[in-house]
Amino acid sequence: MNKKKNVILPNELGKKFSFIRMLIIYLAICGIGVIVLLISFNGLIRSQDKKLTKDICSLVTEKINSSISYMTSSAVNMAASLSAQNYSDLQELYDTMSQDSGGSGYISIGFIDEENNIYASPTELSEFEKWNLLDTAKLADPVSISAPYRSGRTGQPVFTLFVNYTYGSGKNGYLFLTYPLEEIQRMAYTESLTGDTEIWLMEASSDNIIQCAGSNKYFIGVWDNALLSLRKPINDRYQKTYAAWKDKMSAGEETAAITYKIGSETYTQVCSKIDFMYGWYVVVRIPSRSLSSAIQQFRISIFIFLGILFIATVIMFIVSHRGEAKEKKVLENLSIQDPLTSALNRRAFDFTAGQYLGYLGKTLKNEASLLFIDIDYFKHVNDRFGHEAGDKILKEFSAALREIFGDDGYVSRYGGDEFVVLVQNGDKDAINEQLELLKKKAAEVMPCDTAEECGDFVLTFSCGAAVFPTDASDLKSLQASADNALYIVKENGRNGFGWYEKEE
Amino acid sequence: MKRITIVLTIILFCLSLSGCSKRADGEQSVRTAPDFKPLNSIEDGRKNVYLIVKNLESNYWTVMIEGAKDGGDDFDCNVYYSGSYVESDWEEQSRLLDDAVAAGADAILLAPDDSVRLSEKIDETYQKGIPIILLDTIANTDNYDVCYMTDNLVAGQQAAEEMIAQLKKGGVADSDSIQVGLQLGAVSSQTISERLAGFFKYWSSNAPKTWEIISDIKCNDGVLEKAVECAEDLLEYPRLRGVFGTNNCSTCGFAKVIKERERKDIVVVGFDYSEDIAELINGDYMAATILQRQYYMSHTGIETAMKIINGENTDVKFVDMGVVVVNKDTMNQAEVKETLLHN
Repeated sequence: MNKKKNVILPNELGKKFSFIRMLIIYLAICGIGVIVLLISFNGLIRSQDKKLTKDICSLVTEKINSSISYMTSSAVNMAASLSAQNYSDLQELYDTMSQDSGGSGYISIGFIDEENNIYASPTELSEFEKWNLLDTAKLADPVSISAPYRSGRTGQPVFTLFVNYTYGSGKNGYLFLTYPLEEIQRMAYTESLTGDTEIWLMEASSDNIIQCAGSNKYFIGVWDNALLSLRKPINDRYQKTYAAWKDKMSAGEETAAITYKIGSETYTQVCSKIDFMYGWYVVVRIPSRSLSSAIQQFRISIFIFLGILFIATVIMFIVSHRGEAKEKKVLENLSIQDPLTSALNRRAFDFTAGQYLGYLGKTLKNEASLLFIDIDYFKHVNDRFGHEAGDKILKEFSAALREIFGDDGYVSRYGGDEFVVLVQNGDKDAINEQLELLKKKAAEVMPCDTAEECGDFVLTFSCGAAVFPTDASDLKSLQASADNALYIVKENGRNGFGWYEKEE
Repeated sequence: MKRITIVLTIILFCLSLSGCSKRADGEQSVRTAPDFKPLNSIEDGRKNVYLIVKNLESNYWTVMIEGAKDGGDDFDCNVYYSGSYVESDWEEQSRLLDDAVAAGADAILLAPDDSVRLSEKIDETYQKGIPIILLDTIANTDNYDVCYMTDNLVAGQQAAEEMIAQLKKGGVADSDSIQVGLQLGAVSSQTISERLAGFFKYWSSNAPKTWEIISDIKCNDGVLEKAVECAEDLLEYPRLRGVFGTNNCSTCGFAKVIKERERKDIVVVGFDYSEDIAELINGDYMAATILQRQYYMSHTGIETAMKIINGENTDVKFVDMGVVVVNKDTMNQAEVKETLLHN
């Protein structure tokens, strides 16, 4: 379990997390930026939708009110003219006038006298009763307009306009004219609007609507209810806003606007009061996508651009980090390795071995062994074969050490011909076997290229070993113990190895 | 061999699927409309009136066919009838209009399956000089003589009026905070929308402000099991004291659940006549249903057709045939009894 990977080298300290931390910070900043951008874009789209819908609603209302104004002016003028002529027999007047109906777009004409007698066709009389039209007439000041209803005479939706007039000797009555609802619907229809745009006439008190324009042609001119016409319920978070919008309408405000969502679709809805049709509004409802298609396209383009920029930055970030890491690695290797033998240098070994022994000391689970190795008579090699041959011996001996102990130990060139190995176990027999193997390998190391040149040269070494924590409980004492064992080996003629033995 | 068997199975499956023709709008026409059949005894020298209904297999339309049959006998004409099997199959009705013209119809009574898409064929037929009387549903054209139907906006208002009256009779005070639930047969139906609008119109002007309509309007898509589920959902509302079913299916759904749970504290107002709602009305429950007068639509339609054939003009294009409210109190009234005879 106690592998080398548990040990952190000095130059590895802290470097692992700095890149990730920086990346997280970068991502967070990017995320915040995108959110801010999204919020401001959505705000812009919402305000633009509201403004455009308001403009459309104003336009539609203006057209409808102009049309109504034209009808009411005609009716008021007609009433003024009839008042001036001071008719006393309303039945005779009705019989004359009803023959001539349809001249100014209306489909029928009639009168109501002071005693609430209605001069109209039998079908219209039943409609007065059915739709309480007398109550609407009484609201005339000087004009009032009924809610739309289906006419028996035409089979189509109509509305009736009432206007005050006088007859006989100053008696007050009402003149009424019935128009097809189509007159208003035509005004509401604007060719340039897409099929997504819905235009309703809406009764504030009941939420009932009559569609003037919309994608479903089956519902044009048909009574419906706003609750049902929405088809799907408004998202919960907009329910209160929608209720507030309806309250404004019920309170008789001239105009009110709202933006809400049904599922993922955003709608802007604006209402405007209709003149003389008391309690009725024109409502324009437009899905955001049909108004803001250009700006939404722009928003998509911006986000695609930002996405590409973001990915490119992250890739650059990673590539640059990898390059930097590579360079660092080279520098690190230079700072921890002996350049000749590629073994750890003394500083790196002391640090690593110190950390490792410290870790073992805390866990109290395992042992370790420290081997002090000297090449025998190395000076003679240099003298006899030259420094290059000496370097060759050092390199190959170091390679043999790393081959034998590298998997479970740290190999270091401690100085000159001295090597130190920290083995991650205290198994003397196993280590002895490894040292025997090293002996064989060392014998194969030659300072020259040919056997003739080397003559009788055989490379040997002396090794002193000590076990942690049995022989010593810290690196310094362990080194001293191993050094002591080495001294004894050397005293005994070199070319051997021995373990530290405590004096009794 | 195994592969051949699989291929043959797939081919047979595809062939069996192609047995039901599929329309461009996704609606399946399961069966083609049958040829016109005589409704009464056919006599030479009498005028021939053709009736086209929306659904040959529904009780509502059977009553309308009966009205036409009696009309034929009463006003001395031969009456033939046919119709679609599905109420949306306007293409079959279009074909039937052609067949009626080809058969030499002197007048046609039509309950249009589609008020928009059938208009062109109605124009074409009317322009050939054949009188057209519309029944039950109006079309988006002026090319017809008269339409006999229920003004659903008025019918909806009457439903709301009945609901308020029964709630008050059931002891609900103006100050009580109660809820009323609604259920529809279909979301995109003009008839249903107008009934609902009528209900809201009357309710908003006449119900106390503390009496709330639940904004979650249930829709059963014409399936009784779903109507029962919708009714059960609405019964979860703790302050629920009234339910309104805008068509027969919704009403049956409410009636079944109310009866099963013996909720005699809840007012049920519905449309059309069924055994379920009749049991509630005759039992110890607070219930009412609105009956249309489809028998009279076709009966009067035959009378008017004969008048037009004989050169008389109609001065109206739309006649509201009115509805009858059936509850415990009105059950024995002559008008209700007579309407019930034809339901």
